[in-house]
Amino acid sequence: MTNAVQQVVVHGGGVAAAMAALAVGRAYARLGTDTVWVDTGEAPAPHAALIAPPDLATFHRLLGIDEAALLRHAAATIAMGQQFAGWSGGDDAFLHAYGDAGSAFASLPFVQHWTRARAAGLRVALEDFCLAAAAAKQGRTGAPREAATRQAVKTGWHLDAPGYAKLLRAACEQADIRIVAGADAVVHRGGAGLDRIELADGEQFGADLFIDTDGALIAALDPGETAARPVFCDRIIRASAPAFDPLPLYSRVAAHPAGWLTLIPLANRTAIEFAYDSASLADADAPAALAAALGRPVDAEPSAPLAATARPRPWVGNVVAVGPAAGDPPPLDGAELLLLQLGIAQLVLLWPIDRAQMPEADIYNEELAGTRARVADFTAQHFRLNARTGEPYWDAARAAPISTELAAKIDLFAARGMFAHYNHEAHVEDSWALVMAGHGVTPRSFDPQALLTEDQALMAEFQRQLRAVASDVHAMDSHADALRRMRG
Amino acid sequence: MGDRFELVIVGGGTAGWMCAAACAAKLDPARFRVRLVESEEIGTVGVGEATLPQMKDFNDFLGLDEVEFMQATQATFKLGIEFVNWGREGVRYVHPFGTFGRPIGEADFFSYWIRAHVAGTAAPLSDYCFPIVAALQNRFMLPSGDANDVRNAFAYAYHLDAFLYARYLRGWAEARGIERVEGRIVEVEQHGESGDIAAVKLASGTRVAGDLFVDCSGFRSLLLGQTLGVGLEDWAHWLPCDSAQAVPSARSVDFTPYTRSTRRTAGWQWRIPLQHRTGNGYVYSSADISDDEAAATLLANLDGDALADPRVLRFRAGKREQAWAHNCIGMGLAGGFLEPLESTSIYLVQMAIMHMLTLMPAERAIDPALPTEFNRVMDVEYDRIRDFLILHYIANEADAPLWERVTVIDLPDTLADKIDRFRHRGHVQAYRDGLFGPPSWQAVFVGQGIEPRAADRLADALPAATVEERLATLAATIADAAATLPSHADFIARYCPAPAP
Repeated sequence: MTNAVQQVVVHGGGVAAAMAALAVGRAYARLGTDTVWVDTGEAPAPHAALIAPPDLATFHRLLGIDEAALLRHAAATIAMGQQFAGWSGGDDAFLHAYGDAGSAFASLPFVQHWTRARAAGLRVALEDFCLAAAAAKQGRTGAPREAATRQAVKTGWHLDAPGYAKLLRAACEQADIRIVAGADAVVHRGGAGLDRIELADGEQFGADLFIDTDGALIAALDPGETAARPVFCDRIIRASAPAFDPLPLYSRVAAHPAGWLTLIPLANRTAIEFAYDSASLADADAPAALAAALGRPVDAEPSAPLAATARPRPWVGNVVAVGPAAGDPPPLDGAELLLLQLGIAQLVLLWPIDRAQMPEADIYNEELAGTRARVADFTAQHFRLNARTGEPYWDAARAAPISTELAAKIDLFAARGMFAHYNHEAHVEDSWALVMAGHGVTPRSFDPQALLTEDQALMAEFQRQLRAVASDVHAMDSHADALRRMRG
Repeated sequence: MGDRFELVIVGGGTAGWMCAAACAAKLDPARFRVRLVESEEIGTVGVGEATLPQMKDFNDFLGLDEVEFMQATQATFKLGIEFVNWGREGVRYVHPFGTFGRPIGEADFFSYWIRAHVAGTAAPLSDYCFPIVAALQNRFMLPSGDANDVRNAFAYAYHLDAFLYARYLRGWAEARGIERVEGRIVEVEQHGESGDIAAVKLASGTRVAGDLFVDCSGFRSLLLGQTLGVGLEDWAHWLPCDSAQAVPSARSVDFTPYTRSTRRTAGWQWRIPLQHRTGNGYVYSSADISDDEAAATLLANLDGDALADPRVLRFRAGKREQAWAHNCIGMGLAGGFLEPLESTSIYLVQMAIMHMLTLMPAERAIDPALPTEFNRVMDVEYDRIRDFLILHYIANEADAPLWERVTVIDLPDTLADKIDRFRHRGHVQAYRDGLFGPPSWQAVFVGQGIEPRAADRLADALPAATVEERLATLAATIADAAATLPSHADFIARYCPAPAP
């Protein structure tokens, strides 16, 4: 390949730059591509934690990162879902578990039968038929031997962000990726893209392709960054509390009158994110509000801003913006790592063939804009469907504009328990069903094919499924045993 | 029983009886009363019909017995479509029901083929596709069921007599409680305020009232188009053929397990082998050829004696702006028309039926989210097929006036990008919903001369010699496997011989 991409510069710091450099290095070094990481020095906040959705498990194999390393360096615990508490007011809570929302039968999704039974008076929640949810709530994980349900149980991770960044950096070093420290690089344009960047000490780095997680390079080519969606909360305080014992298998997102509070269980601490709306809660009052919500003061950082901008075109010329440079992730549902991973994976797949012209940029921008919109929809549903009426912050969140796609999804689920599937969906149908049902949406009607199952047979099937879930949960491992085995 | 939801299907062609059969199989008769209104006076358009593999799913969904169904409809098997003279005169390629190759490394198979093809070391793409190799030798058998066997790596469809299929389904549906109402509709009655359809009145004076109407009235689109005034989104500027002549001919020795489409001066000719005869037709643009000339061309290009005089059909490419408006769903020709170049007619009916069942209103006041979703998913289906058909038209030599015009038309944006991206790196976007996955696009692009200049870089990780060796092994495996199959004619004679009509 005479015109192949030979030199790549990754520009930025933290998790995003390290993951991009590692992924590209592992995929293309064998084809003669040289990757240099110009580390701008940004690092995750000391209290920061990340929620890795299940797909990251597969991606880690491509990165060559194993479970034991995550446990050793990133205080990792297993994530089977996220609990939402108080989003309808009161003490209600539901679990968005990473698994099937019941087992399909009679050729129909389980939700259709469940909707029919609800209309007839059944009070059992959808998540009670979900093996992943039941297991997570009882502290059980792993695959049961001789499963009775055959339901998917997918797991992700809770990760300490500073530890994870260091782990990825060490993996880059091991993969012989050259790492150069250098903030505030001067950008030199060339043609429709960048020619090279120049560091303070005068060293110059030219490249065929620049991967920018910092934002300075893409901004030099394309100033256009737009506010993509409602912010919901514009401030965040990160903090830590002692670790839970036993360790939960899910994080907890509790609604607060001025925002929400996320508790992420790590092996050595509990990471806390308190997101709030500065119009509802003054910065000066936020630490006290956080302490009040937790019932005690915690070790916290000063509050930081949260934004909601996104680049409509993350790939311009020969610069690809990835991670924070591509836009702010939605603040829930593991969206930060999900979008970062999808952005990097798509770049590896669409790796440009010709360094002189990269029509791949248009494909990439379409894919990523679509993915980002669908991921943002998933988070926006929590706010649209919240039932904390009478609280100004939550009333406004419910009234905030949503995309036509999300409106169609909510309308269709509310009408029929079905899922309006668009291109670029990043969350599976059953995740949507568990979350919408969890927020209190019970479909008004169901597929009439469900009526071919007799009432008696339906009740028997429900009982069979509940028993199967219980026996599978019983056959699973405790979280502690699972972690011990992974540690080796 | 007095409060059942009343479903009225208007029209008893293939679409109407497919819909009725699905209702018989999947709707609880205690809650739904389903009637089909048709008139023996109105002839249905019953020509040899080619289908897609999804039709087997539909028959399985109903619970039909394959052998019985094939015997009743004079059906044969179909592994794909052979396109003759498309791209340019003298070229032949097959669009198969299966993928090309199988995994030989971390990139997809097609990327390795591009790489070897660019290097000049690859055989034609079709040599790596089991259903194509088998089809071109007129061989067939059912998939072997062994995931490691190349003889399992395909799907199949049918060629059948659509009129016989409707008749077969009618018997099946009537035996399961669907009420057939004989009569010609002379008036459609609407509710004063809503404009919803209240009832259809028959020449006999009978009034058939309903809660939901399914318009299967064919091109007339009696309820959706004529009564409710839902317009046709006209695609004639992209797909200019507006006529067809159809004629059956005697079964020929060349008993192909595939459909053939031959490009001609003013359109294209189909050839669909059934057990008892061969269906033929010439789809053409009436601006480019007279009906008489078209008939003469058709008759001059049969491989068996004509068994009737050619019959003329008129149509216009497009779809109704809404497939579901008020309390009426249009299916089949009443909902839209796309020429049968990719055998999509029955598939579109099938999709409309499946979506109708899952989105069936629960009460008389229709929840608006249901038709909204129905129309969204049907639009996706139509748009994807439309783009794929246009691709066949534009990638041709401008060797006659029709072909001069269609090869310079303004493309839908989505299609223009698709072509550029395929040329650059063989990129084809995969969709979850809607027809024509990457292998279909690969077959037609490459078949009609649009070839990628380079492959996915991940395909470069294997040494060239390894790629060459794996490709050669695969082609040999496929050739050997195909040689073990019986002929299509023998297989049919043993598996599902139909009685002489």
